[in-house]
Amino acid sequence: MDEREKDDPLRELGERLDKARRGRTGSEKEPAPTPDSEARKALGIGLRLGLELVVAVFVGTGLGWAFDKVLGTRPWGMIIFFFLGVAAGMVNVYRAVTGMGMAIGYRRSWQDEAAAKQSPADTAVKDEDED
Amino acid sequence: MAIELHPLEQFTIERWIPIHIGGIDASFTNSALFMCAAVAVAIGLVVLGARRRDLVPGRWQSIAEMSYEFIAGMIDDNVGQEGREYLPFIFTLFMFILFGNLLGMIPYGFTFTSHIIVTFAMAAVVFIGVTIIGIVRHGFHFLSFFVPHGVPLVLLLLLVPIEVLSYFIRPFTLAIRLFANMMAGHTMLAIFAGFVTAMGIFGFVPLGVDVLLIFLELLVAVLQAYVFTILTCLYLRDAIHLH
Repeated sequence: MDEREKDDPLRELGERLDKARRGRTGSEKEPAPTPDSEARKALGIGLRLGLELVVAVFVGTGLGWAFDKVLGTRPWGMIIFFFLGVAAGMVNVYRAVTGMGMAIGYRRSWQDEAAAKQSPADTAVKDEDED
Repeated sequence: MAIELHPLEQFTIERWIPIHIGGIDASFTNSALFMCAAVAVAIGLVVLGARRRDLVPGRWQSIAEMSYEFIAGMIDDNVGQEGREYLPFIFTLFMFILFGNLLGMIPYGFTFTSHIIVTFAMAAVVFIGVTIIGIVRHGFHFLSFFVPHGVPLVLLLLLVPIEVLSYFIRPFTLAIRLFANMMAGHTMLAIFAGFVTAMGIFGFVPLGVDVLLIFLELLVAVLQAYVFTILTCLYLRDAIHLH
């Protein structure tokens, strides 16, 4: 009898653990944002915006320079890639600001749903996506 | 009165045990020592935490469990359930950078994350690894990553290069952010420390600034480890949840 009584709370714990584990591997395929994680994300975004723009221009120009060096098309590669770098930097910043993370490409179905729930400002992004 | 300041001296790499293998300089440096120390502290923390597996955790177990839960929660929030299999790598990455930054805060210590070659190597591993994961999971469909939906063909000529470029910018921003933050912070600390003796009796002013800066740098040390890790998570999510 003693042993059974000792066993019981542990068995109950085991059942609860099983339940938690089932919940983890369950249908939840994509992350559900919580208010706390949103605040943390905002901090991360704020810290990386400025750098994003600058580095994009430098990487673009550097790539252009490398292309020129290999293909001998000076100065066209550098000019074109400079502007591509500027554009890429702006695209990255725009995405970070509109809450799309660093995603490449436009469609983010599950993120759009979350964004639509949060603020009307973000729905502009959603509209764009449906075009 | 000439002020002698060497704020960048602290970043000098010193060869302590010279090792040369076939023309490659693989010397054991102060940087290498602190990398080993970061690994040792991280392993020590987790091993110490897991030594006594109490139902009600003690101090060390609590720290180890909290850091695990922190990274696990980060992956759940940002990658989703499929990201769980990459938890060991992301946890290791976070602990290594975190202790690299924090050990550098010890006076006379060396911050290996203030060298761009170190941060770039880590960023390159993340970038190449995430790209391989994307290709393995989605095959050639991975390339649709660079093609925005519902865009006229003419615009694609412009947009695809931009998308490709913004993809290849990732490792650079990842590396430069960590490196620049660490180096700028430590340089600033050294400059203000140099003013302390130079200003004589008013030296307490820069000393006070330095004390405050130390707190800021501790925050930056933790925050930058966090930012590096969370961006890795975001890149991983892009590779896993391809649209």
